[in-house]
Amino acid sequence: MDLFLQQTVNAFALGGTYALLALGLAMVFSTMGLINFAHGELMTIAGYILMACGLAGVPFVFSILLAIAAAVLAAIVMERIAFRPVRNASGATMLVTSFAVSMILQVLFQNFISARSQAVLVPEILSESVRFGGLVIGVNKIAAIVTTIVMLIFLDRFMKHHRIGIAMRAAAEDFSVARLMGIRANTVIAGAFALSGFLAGVAAVLWVSQRASVDPLMGFTPVLKAFIAAILGGLGSLRGAVAGGFLLGFIEIYLAAYLPASMQEFRDPIALCLVVLVLIFRPNGLIPSPALKAEKV
Amino acid sequence: MNKLLISTLLASAMAFPAAAETLRVGVATAQTGALAPFDTPVIDGIHIAVNEINEAGGIDGKIKIELLEKDVRSDAAQTSIATQELVDEGVSVIVLPCDADPALAAIGVVTEAQIPAISTCASSPTLPQIGGDYMFANFPGDNVQATVSAKWAYDEGHRSAYIIYSPDTQYTTMPLYFAEVFEKLGGKMLGEDTHTIGQQDFSAIATRIAALDPQPDVIMTSTYEPDFPSMLKALRAAGVESQIIGSDGIDSPTTFSLGAVAEGLVFTTAGHPTEGSPLEAFNKKFEEVNGKAPETVFNAVGYDLIKVIEAAVIAADGSTDAQTLRDAIANLENVQGATSTITYKGTDGMPLREVSLIRVKDGGRELIGQPTPDASLIPEPRVQ
Repeated sequence: MDLFLQQTVNAFALGGTYALLALGLAMVFSTMGLINFAHGELMTIAGYILMACGLAGVPFVFSILLAIAAAVLAAIVMERIAFRPVRNASGATMLVTSFAVSMILQVLFQNFISARSQAVLVPEILSESVRFGGLVIGVNKIAAIVTTIVMLIFLDRFMKHHRIGIAMRAAAEDFSVARLMGIRANTVIAGAFALSGFLAGVAAVLWVSQRASVDPLMGFTPVLKAFIAAILGGLGSLRGAVAGGFLLGFIEIYLAAYLPASMQEFRDPIALCLVVLVLIFRPNGLIPSPALKAEKV
Repeated sequence: MNKLLISTLLASAMAFPAAAETLRVGVATAQTGALAPFDTPVIDGIHIAVNEINEAGGIDGKIKIELLEKDVRSDAAQTSIATQELVDEGVSVIVLPCDADPALAAIGVVTEAQIPAISTCASSPTLPQIGGDYMFANFPGDNVQATVSAKWAYDEGHRSAYIIYSPDTQYTTMPLYFAEVFEKLGGKMLGEDTHTIGQQDFSAIATRIAALDPQPDVIMTSTYEPDFPSMLKALRAAGVESQIIGSDGIDSPTTFSLGAVAEGLVFTTAGHPTEGSPLEAFNKKFEEVNGKAPETVFNAVGYDLIKVIEAAVIAADGSTDAQTLRDAIANLENVQGATSTITYKGTDGMPLREVSLIRVKDGGRELIGQPTPDASLIPEPRVQ
């Protein structure tokens, strides 16, 4: 029983990180119909800021703020330079653009920073663990779970009560009508990118503190997981992204924990088969978006 | 007309490869992509060695080395294409990427052209075995490294072990060799786990190992950065206190900056800069040239590679003919490189080199020893 609870805590921590990542993708998709595969590079940028701050001796708490700020800034710049010019193009064009942005950034990191992993100094406390009865829970797991909960509450309030949040929801439902009501497309889209950068920054801090290093290709795995989670939850639906992230985390951890040793090699394919199985019964995802197709503006 | 011109030029280029006193070395390695973290430091070391030799007037004071470099983007197909281009340009030796898989993709081309190829830092003993007469490696073999670490673990009194490996590449299956040697010595294997390369979360595996009773004395893995720090932290956070043994892939600053969790970690690698050693001298030189200390032993391994080629040219009486050089490399003995002495004679292309056993102590490296393993213990190469 203890073992099961322990694995469940692991699943919550991993699922929470996936949820933040998937939310970042869903945020941009719901407003402009773009799946931003360069989302992972926003995390890499935040990771490099953490690295640089560690070298410069900046206290970890400030480095976190700087890293998140850098990801937000990078997301806004990315939208302005790469995505605004192709905003009216087809989904495929935007998708290819995002791949290009991702690859260009990776090569820049490899050539101008280092092709090798760089160490990030993470406070010792994050490597420690706490005992609750029979459970041993890592401090970084607790940090991941608490951060996820705080972020979800913040986003929920932002989307419900803040002017830009409301505008973003309106735009996600029907961009043309939202514009007729006087909502500026540029503001909404830049806002969506800023928020997705914010989410990427927070997820990057959690991700990097787990592995204590950053490398040029770091963004690939998280963005892939986020993409699967977003599809599983219902592309474009924010609640769906959260549900998809958690479900993917649970599937991965429970498979790693309970598949027999001889089957462990096939863990990833089995996990994806389970995702497909869910999609067979719920083709539009767990919680489908009310406006399945984002409009072009 | 153009075709005729090109083919005439090519034919004339190939007809006189040895006319000038230069050795053309083709370098088809990964400067971008997933293998770049390993190939780029090797290439830095290669450049240092080539500049050093050329500044001194060339090999034996007369033959300059010319490098023809191509980026293969960590892609197997691209490696084969780049190798063919280099063959067409009439190179005498070819340097291939660090991993066995892309290196093997080029093997058809080099065998047909009868040009010797050396992988920058692939350590799988299956590479020259599958690659045949023209394929050479430049690193202590996985099976040798695992024998050194298993013997050390057993001699330390550890009797039970657990391995975590990834079937994704030849290199990450090194723990299977470890298990074989450890059992041969009389140790007991308690189990194994697999992961995928690039896996971020090891909490499920860590929790399972933490629940084992009794706990294994040793956990061996050849997982490397960025996965390794995450694995190590997960194991320690779950309360696992076993001795952890790794391999050369974690000989990197990311391991030494982990703090308390990495203390006592032991791993095998290609060399250690003891006082007055060639590696210490190389590291100094590297710092002079690049303005910073080397991040990894792979820099020195690149220097070794050029030293091997230099020794082969000297042994072949200054010949730059590819076939003559292949035979010369295959018969080299005790070439002094930066990390170790290197011998190819009597092997199938997997060099005999020293293995250094390192312990992480106070965030730095401590040399445990540089043992020569008992040949009867070394497992046969296995193809995954």
